[in-house]
Amino acid sequence: MELICIGLSHRTAPLTVRERLALPEARQVEVLQRLAQAPVEALWVSTCNRVEVYLAAPNAAVARQRVVEEIQALGGPEALEHLYEHQGENALVHLFRVAGSLDSMVLGEAQILGQVKDAFERGQGAGSVRGELTRACAAAFSCAKRVRTETAIGRASTSMAAAAVQLASKVFDGLRDKTVLVVGAGEMGELAARHLKGAGATKLFVTNRTLARAEALAAEVGGAARPFEELFSLLAAADVVVCSTASPVPIFTKENVGAVGKSRKGRPLFMVDLAVPRDIDPGVGSLEWVHAYDVDDIQKFVADNAAARAEEAQKAGVLVAQEVARFVKERALREGTPVLARLRQRAEAIARAEVERTLGALGDGLTEKQRKSIEAMGRAIVNKLLHEPTSRLRAVGPEGEGNRLAGAAAELFGLLEMEEAASDAATPAAVSAAAAQAATGVKR
Amino acid sequence: MSHTLVSLACHAYGIAAVAYLAYLVRQTELLATAGRVLVGGGLALHGVALFELLGAQSGRPVGLAQGFSALAFLLLAIFLALDVRYRRPVIGAFLTPLAVTVLLPGLLLEGGQAPLPPGVRQPLLPLHISLALLGLAAFAVAAGVGVMYILMERQVKAKRFGLLFSRLPSLEFLDTLNRRLVLWGFIALSITLVTGTLFVLTAPGLAWHWDGKSIATVVAWTVFAALVNARIFAGWRGRRVALLTMAGFCLVLVSFLSSYDLTSPAASAMRLP
Repeated sequence: MELICIGLSHRTAPLTVRERLALPEARQVEVLQRLAQAPVEALWVSTCNRVEVYLAAPNAAVARQRVVEEIQALGGPEALEHLYEHQGENALVHLFRVAGSLDSMVLGEAQILGQVKDAFERGQGAGSVRGELTRACAAAFSCAKRVRTETAIGRASTSMAAAAVQLASKVFDGLRDKTVLVVGAGEMGELAARHLKGAGATKLFVTNRTLARAEALAAEVGGAARPFEELFSLLAAADVVVCSTASPVPIFTKENVGAVGKSRKGRPLFMVDLAVPRDIDPGVGSLEWVHAYDVDDIQKFVADNAAARAEEAQKAGVLVAQEVARFVKERALREGTPVLARLRQRAEAIARAEVERTLGALGDGLTEKQRKSIEAMGRAIVNKLLHEPTSRLRAVGPEGEGNRLAGAAAELFGLLEMEEAASDAATPAAVSAAAAQAATGVKR
Repeated sequence: MSHTLVSLACHAYGIAAVAYLAYLVRQTELLATAGRVLVGGGLALHGVALFELLGAQSGRPVGLAQGFSALAFLLLAIFLALDVRYRRPVIGAFLTPLAVTVLLPGLLLEGGQAPLPPGVRQPLLPLHISLALLGLAAFAVAAGVGVMYILMERQVKAKRFGLLFSRLPSLEFLDTLNRRLVLWGFIALSITLVTGTLFVLTAPGLAWHWDGKSIATVVAWTVFAALVNARIFAGWRGRRVALLTMAGFCLVLVSFLSSYDLTSPAASAMRLP
């Protein structure tokens, strides 16, 4: 199985391309199921800054082609220009970096790990994430946890929501007497609401298509929930609007925002769009009294902060390299590849030697057909003999027997270079446990 | 004596301007404090000089140089009050250079006083002049703040997150400051206009005529009256208000300059000593 990663992110693609690939969950599952026909596994990571597909496939080239076709179908040929690809170990490094927030727009922001975890769970639910990707994700989560606890990268972290609040302070002189409207009660909306509250906003309204979620969030952060139907009357009263809904089309357009302008008497309106695809049409910003920002604008804004964290990012990069190396080694052990390969090599060498000897002893009196039969018999004996140990070594479950079996095989057949196989304590079970820990850490 | 004092004050303002401009680039509290102390010290020296001078002239600045000097003094006094009240030293980076530019031609230029009609020697004259200057200074500060608003709004709209974006105060703050300054300036200008008209109407043998000064003043007053009204009743704010403030300030400046005879050869005698 080979791991590949194909995708595009804020580093390579403009927002207009990214939003075309930002699929609702149900459609992500459809795509995943198309891509992940056994034994291929697929993971679809989609945030407002990236859309990436991770594949574990026996034939990387074929799997890659199918992903490229999917992306072209969704985002048009233009999307292909912005794609990047990583294979094998590089794909692992990328996954670890993404989960560890080292590839984020806001370096070190904590949200991304939760988003990758959601993607992972969605993949598991859809049946597209199985053994190989489960192990890779688990290792990525535990690596992310190390990055968070062992470097200061996340400490002074400004999330997108925090950056949005900072931007608001350039338009308004404090949020104390301002009316704040949070549209969309998802994770992003929650973060935004918390930051706005922290910045002193007292009049905070939350609206959401499902009122219950708005109510839950409002109760949690200390605001008031309003039904989605009141959106535009809320807008008329608001000074700051933060939206992060999953709406596939813009909620706010120049026309419908402009319509509430009369009643506002020129009162400025600050709007931040944290959603991809965008909730606020770009035209809205051309209204004189509206200051509208989308995720790309925020990226530009936080770009300066990135330098300050470059050093921590370097430390984190070393951690990632360590974790990837560990994972690769564990995988090699788990799959017993060296043992199996050597065992097969040894057996085939013996069989070849014996076949040669036999053929030599029988002399030239053999027909071509007889010669081939003897060769086939040699290979068949090897295959039959190794079939059972091979499948047993490969089928080792997560109980951690892999090392024991591989070690035993190495010892039994005298494949002595496998000493380290039995000594390493890091079993797949240990990795999953670490991942579970990392995951609970993210959920706060 | 007073010339030395004003010259010293001008140096203090100049260094303060440098400190505030440096503050714009490198935001350390030390620079802001240095600017504040220098402006305060300069104002003290400047104030003593003006007090001495005007006391000798029955409270009336004579000549363009003195007019500019008094204007610079009031402008910086307003700035210092704002700085103490709001603690936004960044404003200094815009206003101290402006004050120095106002003061310098006063020290260098030669400009005479238009002959004062004899009937206008009234007890209310010092009030008329002080308020006129105060109004002009308030509008000057408002115009400076307007420039800051326009710059900041451009950054906010174009999403350019450069030095100015990170340093300038929020749009709301600048707009509110503009509103207050324009309102106070407008009140001062209105009283100036009323007292001025009163002088002309009550002075024996003085007929009303539309000269450049009265036209510019009335137009400026109309602009600011419209501005104040548009703000209160039509909800005008922000960019267009900032632009109008700048335009209005130019008109008031014309009115101020036309109080002086810039071509008078006698002007040299009235230079600031």
